[in-house]
Amino acid sequence: MIGLRPVVFLVGLLLSALAIVMLIPALVDLRAGFSHDASVFAVSSGFTLFIAVSAVLAARAGEIEIDVRQSFVLAALGWTAAAAFGALPLAFSDLGLGPADAFFQAMAGVTTTAATVITGLDGAPPGIVLWGALLQWFGGLGAITIAIALLPAFHVGGMQIFRVNSAGGGRRALPRVAQILTGVGLIYVAFTAVCATLLWVAGMTGFEAVVHAMTTISTGGFSTSDQSIAHFRSVPVEIIVILFMILGSLPFLLCLQALRGSPRRLFRDQQVLWFLGILAATVVMMTYWRWHHGGAPPWQALRAAAFNVVSIITGTGFTTADYGTWGGVAIAAFLFLMVVGGCAGSASSGIKIFRFLVIYEAADAQIKRLIQPSGLFVAKFNERPIPDAVASAVMGFFFLFAASFALLALGLGAMGLDLLTCLSGAASAIANVGPGLGSVIGPSGSYATLPDGAKWLLSLGMLAGRLDLYTVLVLFVPAFWRG
Amino acid sequence: MFQGTCGATVIQFRPVFFVIGILLSTLAVVMVPPALADAAVGNPDWIVFATSAGLTLFIGVSLIIGNWAPRFTIDVREAFVLTTLAWLVAAGAGALPIAFSGLHLSFTDAYFEAMSGITTTGSTVIVGLDSAPPGILLWRALLQMLGGIGFIVLGVAVLPFLKVGGMQLFRMEFSDKSEKVLPRVAQIAGGIAAIYVALIALDATLLWIEGMRGFDAVCHAMTTLATGGFSTFDASIGHFHSLSIETTTTVFMLLGGMPFVLYLEFLRGKTRRLLRDSQVRGFLGLYVATVAALVLWQWLGGGESFPQALRETSFQVASIMTTTGFVTVDYQTWGGFAAVVVLYITAVGACTGATAGGIKVYRLEVLYATAKAQIRRIIQPHGLFEPHYAGKPIPEAVASSVMGFFFLFALTFAALSLGLGATGLDFLTSISGVATAMGNVGPGLGAVIGPAGNFASLPDAAKWLLTLGMLLGRLELYTVLVLLWPEFWRG
Repeated sequence: MIGLRPVVFLVGLLLSALAIVMLIPALVDLRAGFSHDASVFAVSSGFTLFIAVSAVLAARAGEIEIDVRQSFVLAALGWTAAAAFGALPLAFSDLGLGPADAFFQAMAGVTTTAATVITGLDGAPPGIVLWGALLQWFGGLGAITIAIALLPAFHVGGMQIFRVNSAGGGRRALPRVAQILTGVGLIYVAFTAVCATLLWVAGMTGFEAVVHAMTTISTGGFSTSDQSIAHFRSVPVEIIVILFMILGSLPFLLCLQALRGSPRRLFRDQQVLWFLGILAATVVMMTYWRWHHGGAPPWQALRAAAFNVVSIITGTGFTTADYGTWGGVAIAAFLFLMVVGGCAGSASSGIKIFRFLVIYEAADAQIKRLIQPSGLFVAKFNERPIPDAVASAVMGFFFLFAASFALLALGLGAMGLDLLTCLSGAASAIANVGPGLGSVIGPSGSYATLPDGAKWLLSLGMLAGRLDLYTVLVLFVPAFWRG
Repeated sequence: MFQGTCGATVIQFRPVFFVIGILLSTLAVVMVPPALADAAVGNPDWIVFATSAGLTLFIGVSLIIGNWAPRFTIDVREAFVLTTLAWLVAAGAGALPIAFSGLHLSFTDAYFEAMSGITTTGSTVIVGLDSAPPGILLWRALLQMLGGIGFIVLGVAVLPFLKVGGMQLFRMEFSDKSEKVLPRVAQIAGGIAAIYVALIALDATLLWIEGMRGFDAVCHAMTTLATGGFSTFDASIGHFHSLSIETTTTVFMLLGGMPFVLYLEFLRGKTRRLLRDSQVRGFLGLYVATVAALVLWQWLGGGESFPQALRETSFQVASIMTTTGFVTVDYQTWGGFAAVVVLYITAVGACTGATAGGIKVYRLEVLYATAKAQIRRIIQPHGLFEPHYAGKPIPEAVASSVMGFFFLFALTFAALSLGLGATGLDFLTSISGVATAMGNVGPGLGAVIGPAGNFASLPDAAKWLLTLGMLLGRLELYTVLVLLWPEFWRG
């Protein structure tokens, strides 16, 4: 049996924090004169706090120690509880969302997916908009935390190559990880502040700047307008957002080291170089396609391609154009790009660049071995040999990703959706992007019209994708709960 | 057979060309029946076939004589070159009579059609099969039959030795002291070929009894066992409106999708092996599950009667899973769920060691076992979990080459569909076209290349990309892709 006491205790702490954060939108709504919504936030906060404190008190124990299995339960339960309680103010606000809609929206928030069921954001009360952004901001921070502290330690999907070298191991490991996480958290806050300031200078209102800064650095993608970033029609805004979407997809650990005075590791990291290379190559190709075949002037083609390609690859989900109308190759390209994702150890989701690198290196070594069966070929990552266990874990992740994607798309098909909506919806949810393709959930559409069953399935997909699949899938293995 | 001599210097083309010469001579001989068929009905195409046969034979014999050697060996790299070249050349020779026949196809179209034949894909650019001369119809069926047996032999005798995509799992257990390997492999290949021909004869007889004309019965039997899917009618099997023909074809398509080595063992008295084989079980299980899901979907959701839904789906799922590509009904009207299912089973395919294409069931089983072992290892970091296939532990090298294959398949799929998109095709045509080509199935989805459609209207660039996809899919990717590595050609 798994001892769930410490898990419940920690989830209680998480929810208490959530309850406190809920007071911010309450205050904002109160100041803006939306007294009903303000009271919804206040009541939701009180209720959440009550549940949270009860959980903390009930499960309190002298010393907390959690093992591997408890950590998995904690991660999945933490995200689910945050989505469930985060959905409260959405469900009882003036928007009149049903339970499926509210949970979907909140899950999209904490998993930094930009999928939305709310239309009419432009006139929505500021509290709701801010709440979505806060959920994404904390969701992004949580994702970085588990990517640095949890996944490498538990060998999830090949992440063990990012284990923090804690000399001596054992007792020293925890303080060292905590120290790193504090540093990374500070950078995250600092990046958000810088981004907000720049956006404000570029012409956004203070509120818009803060909301967009939070959803940009977390690669979340909620906006204050139905038209997303296209609403601002501003080149400086787009450039700033592009830069910070990229920053949000770089490994934060390396950013920390760069700011501490060793920037060379950041710019020599194979993952970072490949990431930037893939971004540049894709932007160039898409620009060329838009210019030559779409008839757009080169400057406009570059502007639209750069923003939307970066937004999709990093899994942010902001849009400035309806790329669904860019033709067959663009649709296929965006479908594939959705799953690529940013670097491991960032706020971005998806398969992630390092996995492509590892598989590419492994496949290259394999092909060379076919040519010279007795030759010795070693796959390398950042100039160090990739252990066999890592290579096979990465390839296993790739297969699980494909299988989860296939099952999710199949489930969506059974809800009666069309092929493009099924495929792109599943890809977009698992990779935590947001907008799909096609007329329903495309860049200019919304998830509001989907059947409730599809929304629950997509919520599950977003959760699994955010937690690197394994973390959620292990919970469905009977052996996990035994002995 | 394959001397694994490492550090071999330059690739020896003499033995490669010698074998290609034999292949061409065989093709030339096989061109004679279509010539006779056309001559019998007085169609001038017989001259085209006779001339093509003569030309092919001339080139073939020249290659044989020019590269004759009393004794030669073929090592790994030569085997890769030979395999790829064999399929390219066979498609080239097969395209000759198609290009110069009365159908007036361009070279691109003729090569596409011949590649579709020799890879047992079944995508066609010919419109008006119903009124086409018998020679060309017979030729398309013969190409698929040859492609089918060629692929079985490749899967049994060559790929396992080249260790392509985890195929080393199917290396036959004989004492590795190579002297005896060749006769033993030749013996097995001979036995398999005999079974293949016998099954075709049986299928043709049954189809004939069920009311097909003798000619149609022979053509369909050949393309059924080859899981190819060329028909003598534009409406494919749907033309006959016959439940018994559909049932017979379903059974023989499934037979064509299972490992032929097991039939050989079945006849030798090891009857239990066939039904206990983990790949056969996985394949039949997946087939039944898919049919059940689609029957339910059609019956409850689509408002069809149960017998009708069962009849349509059992045929159509068998046709797509075994990568045959016969059609009795436009399954695109079945809705989004069915489209997703069709897209998946197009890529999955059937068993290895058969005539079917696709990723293949054993690879999915290996991937599943590996992923399961990994998940258990995460739960219990100190436990020892080994993935098993057919009761035996999967060697690390097999697991990783299967996973590498899966990744390469996805990557090639993405690259080719982007390429098709760039030629101006719509999204659905792009992705389903690539899936159907790489899986060697035949029909795609969408208005253009769907079950009721035809590949004729695609731009030439798209046809070449699809031809490449068919070749890559048929030769299990690695066999072709290794040729692109510079290391391959260096000493």
